Amino acid sequence: MAIDQTTDRRVYSADDPIIEIRNAAVTYDEGRSYVLDHVSLELERGEILGVVGESGSGKSMLASSLLDAVPSPGHLTGEITYRPDGKAPINILELEKADRRSLRWEDISMVFQGAMNSFNPTLDLRTHFEETLRAHDADIKKGLGRAEELLEDLYLEPDRILDSYPHELSGGMQQRALIALSLVLDPDVLVMDEPTAALDLLMQRSILLLLSDLQEKYNLTMVFITHDLPLVAALADRMAIMYAFRLVEIGDTRDIVENAAHPYTRALLNSTPNLDAPLSEMQPIDGQSPAPINMPTGCAYHPRCPLATEECRTEVPDYHEVETDHGSACYHWQASYDEVPLLHENSPGDTTGGVDE
Amino acid sequence: MNNYYIKRTGRAVLTLWVTVTLTFGLIRAIPGGPLEMLRARLVRQGVDPSRIDAIIQSRQQESQPIYVEYYEYMSSLLSGNLGESFYFREPVSDIIIDALPWTVFVMVTATIILFAIAVVWGALIAYKEGSTFDTASSGLSILLSSVPFYVLGILFVVVFSYKFGVFPARYRTSPGISPELSFLFIQDALYHAALPIASVVITQVGLQTLAMRGNSIQVLGEDFVRVARLRGLSDRRIATRYVGRNAILPMYTGFLTLIGFNLGGSVILEEIFTYTGIGYYMFEALINRDYPLMMGIFLVITTALVLSVYIADLTYGLIDPRVKSGDSNEAY
Repeated sequence: MAIDQTTDRRVYSADDPIIEIRNAAVTYDEGRSYVLDHVSLELERGEILGVVGESGSGKSMLASSLLDAVPSPGHLTGEITYRPDGKAPINILELEKADRRSLRWEDISMVFQGAMNSFNPTLDLRTHFEETLRAHDADIKKGLGRAEELLEDLYLEPDRILDSYPHELSGGMQQRALIALSLVLDPDVLVMDEPTAALDLLMQRSILLLLSDLQEKYNLTMVFITHDLPLVAALADRMAIMYAFRLVEIGDTRDIVENAAHPYTRALLNSTPNLDAPLSEMQPIDGQSPAPINMPTGCAYHPRCPLATEECRTEVPDYHEVETDHGSACYHWQASYDEVPLLHENSPGDTTGGVDE
Repeated sequence: MNNYYIKRTGRAVLTLWVTVTLTFGLIRAIPGGPLEMLRARLVRQGVDPSRIDAIIQSRQQESQPIYVEYYEYMSSLLSGNLGESFYFREPVSDIIIDALPWTVFVMVTATIILFAIAVVWGALIAYKEGSTFDTASSGLSILLSSVPFYVLGILFVVVFSYKFGVFPARYRTSPGISPELSFLFIQDALYHAALPIASVVITQVGLQTLAMRGNSIQVLGEDFVRVARLRGLSDRRIATRYVGRNAILPMYTGFLTLIGFNLGGSVILEEIFTYTGIGYYMFEALINRDYPLMMGIFLVITTALVLSVYIADLTYGLIDPRVKSGDSNEAY
């Protein structure tokens, strides 16, 4: 079984990476526990990567790490390299304060979950755009022109939005305005941390549509972080599954959805609510995901995994190459096909209906 | 929007009317009166009983039905006539016009100073939450707020005025200094007001600081502050426009109403420092059962409070855009 175990970076590597993450780890207690446990990942220029995981699996930590913006007093170690097109690579974690300030938003930008709280309630939106432009010494007039174009791309009326205060906009409008604000400095990479969590289903879908349009028009690389696997499957080129602060499976969206090779991913697919599936067919995963201070030895999923063996309990599995560019951090990925059968036929996009059409 | 202002104005007027009427009723319900007081004093002075009767008689007004009295009371109030003080033998309005500016000066200055200190201090503590500075400051704040201002005032008079003689123990200005817009006058007025202002500031700043600390800590945890940092805004802009402004919002109404409350609280303070403002006169009026003066000052104090809440209501929309439309948002 260990023959196909791969310790090199083949499964998560990209041909033309815009960001390389090596062993990124976040700790809040000097290394006794990790809320992001030595994750390695490469981001292909121009792709949309979906990162899926339960609440408290370390997704937001991964997102914040890309901007070196882990909430204080967290400590981020490892290596995160940003490779701008045609320029020298930048080691994000070793930047001076001023350089880091200009990297954020100019090169790598971020949309947080909860757009409702991302604007200062006492300032109108024009001020938000202007102060951002000013803070980065950008041309205000040109920047506002770009802001108006972005807002129009997102089907908002620029004049009305810019003259509004946050509370005068609906949740969906705030979310779109926040996306426009995050793109106002023309970044290369947009990290989105649960950008649709607070929105209703219809709004989620229309935002996804807009995002894929934006991605094409502005040639963005996107990281889309969510707990909603079917939602991101309709949008992402590649997907990474997180469990207990580690990445457990990575691969092309189609491979993950149709041919998941990690028992957790397969169980996650089976547990995902589906409007067409009767309630009795849904299968929750028994047990609960571990807390960072109480991590199981070996594979963190072994207490809940039907395939767990002695090996799983002692050794943390490395990626096993399922196919080219599809890796699963499981010793028994082959057995998972039979042991954890998928309950419904999945294909990327079917659950978010209409996005692919 | 207009509806909002009309409603607030209506409520302020209604509150004032109720206060005025209550005052009218209360004063009449109190046993004894200025004439009893005067008679007792004259008796103690050993004045001839027949002369006492004559004096009392000369001051006695014919009693009228209560609604006539109420009508006359209200109409003279509206024309600014608050009656004449029994004790000082002067129109009440003259006494108030003379005394009120001084009380307003002391209390408004003190409240502004204490809020300025509280805002800066509280925000600093919030930024250093959990540090020794935080623990020490919070402890000190609680300690200061638990000292009543009159205790501190007496302490100040004893230490600074009598023991060391560095500050005056009484009066609004030194004798012989006339109120005019000169450096000497302003300096002298500040010199005399320093101790009263200090005792208000020191005993009230703690609570406001703790309030500011709590607000700031809450705002610092808001998403929009984190997003602002990522957007690269300067620390200064974040501290003022993001944290400061949003943390001060809930304190604004408190600030204006505290001015109103402090005007009422001047009674004891001004007595301690023999500072002849409305509080001092209120105390004198109480001791001498000088009802017209008492009522006049009482009205001024309630009016000040109603007015400060009214101003807070009207201006809150200027500092918080969310209240601009003001359908159901009331500041207080």
